[in-house]
Amino acid sequence: MTRKLVQALPPLAAFTVLLLLWEAGVRYGFLKPYQFPPVSRIARGFVELSTTGFPTGVSIWSHALTTILRVLQGYGAALALAIPLGLVIGALPVVDKLTAPLIVFCRSVATLSLLPLVIVWFGAGELTKVFLIGYGCFWVMLSNVIAGVRYVDPTLVRAARTFGLKGLELYRSVVLPAALPRIFAGARMALGVGFMVIVGAEMIGTIQGLGALIMEARTFYRSEITIIGMLVIGLIGFAISAGLMALERAMLPWAGDLDRVRR
Amino acid sequence: MSQSPVMERRSPDTGVGGRGPAEAAFIRIDGARKVFTQRSGGAVPVLDNVDLAIAENEFVSFIGRSGCGKTTLLNMIAGLEDVSAGRIAIAGKVVTGPGQGQGVVFQQHALFPWLTAVDNVAFGFRKSGLAKAERCRRALELLSLVGLDAAAGRYPREMSGGMQQRVSIARALALDPQILLMDEPFGALDELTRIELQQELLRIWEARRKTIVFVTHSISEALTLSDRIVLLASNPGRIKRIFPVDLPRPRLRTDPGFNALYQAIWNELST
Repeated sequence: MTRKLVQALPPLAAFTVLLLLWEAGVRYGFLKPYQFPPVSRIARGFVELSTTGFPTGVSIWSHALTTILRVLQGYGAALALAIPLGLVIGALPVVDKLTAPLIVFCRSVATLSLLPLVIVWFGAGELTKVFLIGYGCFWVMLSNVIAGVRYVDPTLVRAARTFGLKGLELYRSVVLPAALPRIFAGARMALGVGFMVIVGAEMIGTIQGLGALIMEARTFYRSEITIIGMLVIGLIGFAISAGLMALERAMLPWAGDLDRVRR
Repeated sequence: MSQSPVMERRSPDTGVGGRGPAEAAFIRIDGARKVFTQRSGGAVPVLDNVDLAIAENEFVSFIGRSGCGKTTLLNMIAGLEDVSAGRIAIAGKVVTGPGQGQGVVFQQHALFPWLTAVDNVAFGFRKSGLAKAERCRRALELLSLVGLDAAAGRYPREMSGGMQQRVSIARALALDPQILLMDEPFGALDELTRIELQQELLRIWEARRKTIVFVTHSISEALTLSDRIVLLASNPGRIKRIFPVDLPRPRLRTDPGFNALYQAIWNELST
């Protein structure tokens, strides 16, 4: 424990020095505060955001909650569709071959480039935002589920066949558990995509949400609020990802050290 | 080196462990061929016209360079791969798939990583119709046969390579198969563990009377274990020569007979 603390000391010190230099740079006029808001300003901004709110009346917590709910809705819908669909496609090599180009294509389309089209479809309301998040998450999740099922070690399948397993039973008791680590990894990747899309998805038609906060702050040259928005998005993403990893560790105790193997 | 290598495989009956043609072959391979079709549509012959007869309780090793089709031949006996032409029969019954009395031990990493040692072994009873408690009891029994009772609750990643292969052997023995097919099972192990497991395998073979077909890269492993060593050649895979090993067990590497055979097999392999 103390050893860990000692190890963390040098990078912590370096970070503090950087922040102090930054602060001094602004104070002595080398850096413009609206371009590089110093720590003190960010701290003050945070107090303002959590009390008065920005715009007035909408606190940072309310922004965060709105964003979390949007991400979870889009993400949840994407997972609910992608997992069963991927399990079916992955089980049928012919269907996989047929759909692979389409999936790669759809996954490669930058989600936000769909924004104008989605507004035409669903207007500028909640559905548009949730749809965009869902779209981004869906294709990443789908391709990971398919890959997880397709690339199960053939030796495991052979071993099961020597005991007379085949068809659906083989799939359920060997292919599915073998694919789970990849499916979990896909779920974590998809979550990352969800948070990447959120800022763009919240750019129009709302003043609520961290993405909207960031855009609104730009209009008023409140760069420190943009930075706070960034930090909060990062923290939320980190927390949910850590939660997913804990879930994974609880559900797949056999899969080994997740922290070190795939982050 | 140039002793007529074809003679033995043309008359498989005389090749049965020196026990003579009176004893019927337990595993009989007649003119087996295997052709893999490439993506481009071309056909690659992997095994060409293999004839071999293996007696009951015999220990036979397949040895040869990579790509000589020894693993393919083993998989065909296991019923995991189709025979393109010819036929393979076990106790007179043509092999059409797994579950005809073949137990298989694969190379490393064939244990189900999400199951503990005891559950991996119990997996072998999936289609046996036994009650769950009985499956578990028998699985523990098999684990103690391979000396692993203490590790029953461990996941494969928590076991050494040697322990994993012990579990693999226990699992392959689950349905008490007459035949044990082993595909380079000790290939990835360190020398000491490998020798330990070879002795263990011989002990199990003698105690349980199994017919064992063992694929290996190692001449000394084949010599330590087998009644007969089948040497395969590549392009296409075929039986080049069969060496009976008439040395008493336990076999010592320092034995002159052991060394003479080693040299003979080496010469044949390297030409």
